[in-house]
Amino acid sequence: MSQLNLIYHFQSSQNHDEEFRSARYKVTYFFNDDGFVADSILEELIKSFPEASSEDMTFLNLDDLKAFALRVAQELNLPQVRLISVQDYNIGIDGAKDLKTFKELFGKYGEAILNESVQKRKGLFGKLFS
Amino acid sequence: MTHSNDSRPNLDPVRPGEQWFCYWKTSASLWENRIAEFASHEIIFIPLYWGFHAESDGTWDFGRLHPERDLVRLINILTQQDRKFCWLLPLSPAPFLPNGGVPISSARTLSVSHQGMHLACLDQDQTLHKMYSFFEPKVSQTFAGFVQALGEILASKKIKSSIWGVEFFYNENNQAISFLEDYSLTFDQGFSRYLKKNHPDFDLIATKEEAKLKKYFRDDVSSLFQSLAQDCLASYWEGIKEITIFGAGPKDTIERAIGSGKSQTHYFKDLFNSYINHGWFSSCLLSAKEKKDLLRRCLSEHFSNDEIEHRFQYLSDSPELSPDFRPYALFDVFDQDVVSVFEQNGLKSFLNNHFPWMYHQYNKLEFTPSWIDSSHHRVKFFHAEGMDRTAFAQMLKLFMMGQRIIFDSSKLSEELDRRLQVFYLENNLKLQSVNFITPINLCSLGEGRFITFEGQKLNNPEDQSRFWGHLFKFLNMNHPKVETDQDIFSLWRIRATSPHELNYLDVRRVNFYNPTSYKKSVMVHTQKKFAFMKLIDPLHATAKTTPDGVEVELLPNGKVALDFGHYEENR
Repeated sequence: MSQLNLIYHFQSSQNHDEEFRSARYKVTYFFNDDGFVADSILEELIKSFPEASSEDMTFLNLDDLKAFALRVAQELNLPQVRLISVQDYNIGIDGAKDLKTFKELFGKYGEAILNESVQKRKGLFGKLFS
Repeated sequence: MTHSNDSRPNLDPVRPGEQWFCYWKTSASLWENRIAEFASHEIIFIPLYWGFHAESDGTWDFGRLHPERDLVRLINILTQQDRKFCWLLPLSPAPFLPNGGVPISSARTLSVSHQGMHLACLDQDQTLHKMYSFFEPKVSQTFAGFVQALGEILASKKIKSSIWGVEFFYNENNQAISFLEDYSLTFDQGFSRYLKKNHPDFDLIATKEEAKLKKYFRDDVSSLFQSLAQDCLASYWEGIKEITIFGAGPKDTIERAIGSGKSQTHYFKDLFNSYINHGWFSSCLLSAKEKKDLLRRCLSEHFSNDEIEHRFQYLSDSPELSPDFRPYALFDVFDQDVVSVFEQNGLKSFLNNHFPWMYHQYNKLEFTPSWIDSSHHRVKFFHAEGMDRTAFAQMLKLFMMGQRIIFDSSKLSEELDRRLQVFYLENNLKLQSVNFITPINLCSLGEGRFITFEGQKLNNPEDQSRFWGHLFKFLNMNHPKVETDQDIFSLWRIRATSPHELNYLDVRRVNFYNPTSYKKSVMVHTQKKFAFMKLIDPLHATAKTTPDGVEVELLPNGKVALDFGHYEENR
């Protein structure tokens, strides 16, 4: 089953173009085995998060980011989404030495969120082969 | 001569493409045979893996301990085989080398991308190379030691050799990003020291200023590596090249690792963007599976030895056409590092829709006699933002030489505006003014045309499309019009006519490539100025003539070339 991954970057509060910017979580890459999730899908789904910015794909809190990730998993009908922070990604990179170990980091680090709507729909056949 | 047949052998790590020879990836006993595999007319490019020559005690080995490090023997083999060759010395992390090329003793801090991610690249053989920061003071010290030792060994053996310094780049979201761009803690520490020394009164609240100063710091460090290399290798120094490595960015690394991999269409986009930006590239990281049939064929047909020699300035085009095909573009776009202007006034989008891959984009004007002559036929676009007096004067000179110049004069400084008015008066130029969406001024001198307009007033896509549509109609480009899908890639070439083709002014060849998994069609409108001559090397493609031109059908992974004779200069 294709795994959905979201790599995000926590940006601490800072002065940006002479304006104060509060801390936020930025979606860096969102992908599964078929490639990167289309920008059009992300831009459409982020609209339901009023505090998020669709321009630079940022969220003011982690809960919103998680809810957004789950919303994307639901849209793509995938059973789970894994959120990996850039810090976790970097730790994984430090230990990786080739393609195999690099790919493993996406299963090893971060937090998996289950998309229960897909889990519930699974029949016996699906359970046996998942 | 361009080779239209695909003569590339299967990929191997020692010869990963673009005529590179990676000496450290094979036994020194095999060097002779491996070099003999290159076609005799090809220049061989040898990247220098400087970390490979480092000994743990801080000394450098050039063959005393390990035969694979014996560069003098390698040069002797190349000389005996009468080969043209040159070295590529990394002046930034090199994504195809372990640790980016940095010796283990100096590889202390990993480079960080602007998204905060450690930079790591997958090699052809699926090894993950991590890039180490060039802002670590130990790296520049070690590099200084290496270039000095290399200079000494070359001088002691009285060896003739040429060396290019290379800064490596990766592509991300259609932008080329240098591997010297680093957001690591080491960069920040270096920047703090730089600030204390050069700008002790700097106010950290001024973030715009900070970004500018960070760029200055990065440029300073880049210059440090360049000057270290240039000073020690002066007699061999050819200059500096920027090379974009396909598949090397952080997004690429993820895309290449996941199930579907990076698509051929995406690689084609990288390749063609690199082409219009007039940059050089390497496909050395791509595996045999990634460098699939169509990409390999395109590289072979358009980016083989002739093109490489042009890019490295070993060959230059004469202003007159020759019997061999050469790349053909219609426009030059100069953006003075302010890329947004031609995006906002709609030129980029118009060119991409109507003349895809038929323009070259430059940061600045290369005002050399050979470039001026060879680019005479191309319409040149400039904008006023960020333009200095030199570029402004050169632009006007091009017009005086009979070239066609289109100038977006929005944000033209008062000083340059005054100079422009004086220029009109001094040369007694009569201005024709029209107001079509935006004020337009046209003046002519012989064959030269100088058109100014205010691009800021082209606010919406409809106005932009009408404006550019009319302007290009006025320019009368004398070129077949192509209608196709955006995922079809095309490249035009031109040659002089042969004795039995005297009815034509020139012959133009277009190659179409369909890297997608869908069937696509292309319509080439000949516009009563071009005659379809022949179809060349169709692969999963068919073509038929219609009263209006040629209709091509390309199946997935299809490609074809068409030749057209140009028989009318002007309407």
